[in-house]
Amino acid sequence: MPLPQPVAEELRRIVGRESVIDAPNDLRIFERDGSIEGAVPDAVVLASSTEHVSAVIKVAAKHRIPVVPRGAGTGLSGGAVTIRGGIALQVTRMRKILAIDPVAQTALVEPGVVNQELSLVAAQHGLFYAPDPSSQKACTIGGNAAENSGGPHCLYYGVTTNHVLGMEVVLADGSVHWVSGDAPDRVGLDLCGVLVGSEGTLCAITKIKVRLLRIPPSIATMLAAFPSIETASQAVSAVIGHGIVPAALEMMDSVTVGAVEAHYHAGYPTDAGAVLLVEVDGIAESTRELMAAIGKILGENQGYAIREAQTPAERELLWAGRKGAIGALGRIKPNYYLHDGVVPRSRLPQVLSAVGEIGEHYQLPVANVFHAGDGNLHPNILFDLRDRQVLHQVEAAGEEMLRAVVELGGALSGEHGIGLEKSAFMPWIYNPDDLGAMHRVKDVFDADGILNPGKIFPDPSRKSVHLAGRTGLAVEAKWW
Amino acid sequence: MVVTAPTVEKPASAEELARRLHEAAASKLAVAPVGGGKARGMGGVIERCDVLLHTTRLDRMIEHSQADMVVSVEAGITLEALQAELAKTGQFLPLDPFHSPGHTIGGLLATGWTGPLRLRYGSPRDFLIGIRVALPDGTLASGGGRVVKNVSGYDMMKLHYAALGSLGVIVAASFKVFPKPLHDVTVSSHGGWTDIDRALGAPVAPAALELFSDGGVLARYSGSPDAVDRVVTELGWRRVGGEVWDEHARRGPERWARITVARAELPKVMEALPPGAQWWASPGAGIAHWANTNDAGSIRVVRSAVEARGGTLVMLAAPDEFMREVGAWGAPPSTLEIQRRLKNAFDPDHVLNPGRFVV
Repeated sequence: MPLPQPVAEELRRIVGRESVIDAPNDLRIFERDGSIEGAVPDAVVLASSTEHVSAVIKVAAKHRIPVVPRGAGTGLSGGAVTIRGGIALQVTRMRKILAIDPVAQTALVEPGVVNQELSLVAAQHGLFYAPDPSSQKACTIGGNAAENSGGPHCLYYGVTTNHVLGMEVVLADGSVHWVSGDAPDRVGLDLCGVLVGSEGTLCAITKIKVRLLRIPPSIATMLAAFPSIETASQAVSAVIGHGIVPAALEMMDSVTVGAVEAHYHAGYPTDAGAVLLVEVDGIAESTRELMAAIGKILGENQGYAIREAQTPAERELLWAGRKGAIGALGRIKPNYYLHDGVVPRSRLPQVLSAVGEIGEHYQLPVANVFHAGDGNLHPNILFDLRDRQVLHQVEAAGEEMLRAVVELGGALSGEHGIGLEKSAFMPWIYNPDDLGAMHRVKDVFDADGILNPGKIFPDPSRKSVHLAGRTGLAVEAKWW
Repeated sequence: MVVTAPTVEKPASAEELARRLHEAAASKLAVAPVGGGKARGMGGVIERCDVLLHTTRLDRMIEHSQADMVVSVEAGITLEALQAELAKTGQFLPLDPFHSPGHTIGGLLATGWTGPLRLRYGSPRDFLIGIRVALPDGTLASGGGRVVKNVSGYDMMKLHYAALGSLGVIVAASFKVFPKPLHDVTVSSHGGWTDIDRALGAPVAPAALELFSDGGVLARYSGSPDAVDRVVTELGWRRVGGEVWDEHARRGPERWARITVARAELPKVMEALPPGAQWWASPGAGIAHWANTNDAGSIRVVRSAVEARGGTLVMLAAPDEFMREVGAWGAPPSTLEIQRRLKNAFDPDHVLNPGRFVV
């Protein structure tokens, strides 16, 4: 439904005529993010400044129109989908790196700065930005902060929230605030910590101050093949059980390895049931020592074809295969549906065997490529969207996989966010009191519910069939 | 005014604690949660206190999964008891707060106190993965979980961490724990800021690095033996026994303040301290503790110097009169209005620690 003309005019006065998109055909490219479900926004507003964002939100608040902040649209949980219509507030024109302070090791960036670009620029000072989602060539720091994104190297370095020092945010009334900053242990409540990962439901982010780290002098990357996912999972537990926390510890199953190898020729062993990619960094003495220890542990746990990248180019190739894995899966089927449930690491063999069984039951190919060290699964259910019948099967299989994750003591999402696709399952892990406390936070920041409505919290009007008889698990689980 | 001694409640379960809290709140009685009592001096002088709600009987270890490197505990367990359990499997929680021993986990989460190891491991803000909190309406609300990476819903850990029991009483928590380092070496020097810069500029970062007002430096290196030995040899400082860290952690003066600022600003800020000031600092983290804070005038001078650089000076302990005079927290945050709304949403009758926190 188009916005009322006077509202559209108000928006045009703020950002300029060319920066409001509301022709139906033009809107369609903003229908989706990286997930399955889409909805066409009523208008897209291209903001170039904090003042724009603030003024647009004020207009939206006045007319009670939903606003969904949007970065590169690479999110995998429907976080940027305008499911209740309204305005998609695009911040990708705000793409300046405002400052890099090499002494303090910080950067101040606008939300539309692309993740990898920040690390490339920081490298001139010998620094890098640690959180590295696989979409880092495209995804934005603003989107990363909104989703509290992870990435392969978060095993050692931590996720986005561990690297955000402060933010400039616009609240639901259009007011602009700085939360936190360079000094640790601020006075008062940690609003910055609450807003990171709030998925656009509490604020729009207009500037981010992040911590940068020194590029380690030495990086070593190792690849090992295993007969099966189970043996590879045991090797993961063994490495960490020895008190070694590598910078990254990634797993790919045989389906993924086949697709990646066909596409990248990275030298992945295609006869393997699973492949582990392990990376350590530090000074040369330390990486040598760690790699020797890890190689030994992997060998003792049925690892074979163990090899270490000998050159930076070889290392790049190994990582290109991992980071491009999901794209390479397009060789098998054009579409994928990806969940990112997370389990206690020791439950990986159980949950992966459950995932395999569910795929077989629904006769859907599943490719696993994931952050094994964190216990963070990424089962990709592969399908062809042109076969309309299959979508329901795909969703049902995904739901069963998440159910298996939760039953093994896990959580719904490790790094992609709850968004639209998992909101119905929140009662699996949180009881009404838990969700009630989160609702209080939402109501304080956005009592009228204009910021990214329909996300995170279960919407009783959706998926009611799926949810029947499936709530209340957290209460029975006796977590505490 | 008639002052009556507060009622002491020592509930034996989270449910009972929530019930007691709710009963007090329903009668508009002011409640002060108490853990190990090690940080009682922190914050403003409490306006009213009708009930002392102790967590000491909530001292169970709920679950420790060695393979997952995750532990869940009740809030009243002491840090020492928890470390002793974890040590059986070669693991530990990288938290070494001052004024030890005797801190409870709940107390450490409520106050946000940390120690030297923060340089390497960050604070519990970084490794707290789940939380359960009793709210004044009697509900028990959990957030997070028992997995090391989790974005399911709002980060309720951040909401309650270092909120000084202002929104609820923490009754249980889950942490990511860490393997004890293979190799752990401590060295000392007397080279002051010059040596601090040397250590922070070296290719191997120290796990902890402390500077004292007399120019003394303590550095702790942990990790792979080859790397540790290389850096320790390069620095050429004197090796000392690891027990110096236990002694250091026992510091907890009757009057003290915590200074935090961007780490590059810390040397300038410390120059503003009066002559004869006794202090120690974690320069790599931008945190200092000032011990003999006896003079309100010099505290005001230092606080304005710190705040001008975007930092904070918070009083950790002082006599009531003195605390009222200088104020516990300094300048209120610019988001005070939103913080008040959060306070009202969780504790509408302001029964939790009235007057003690910022909201």
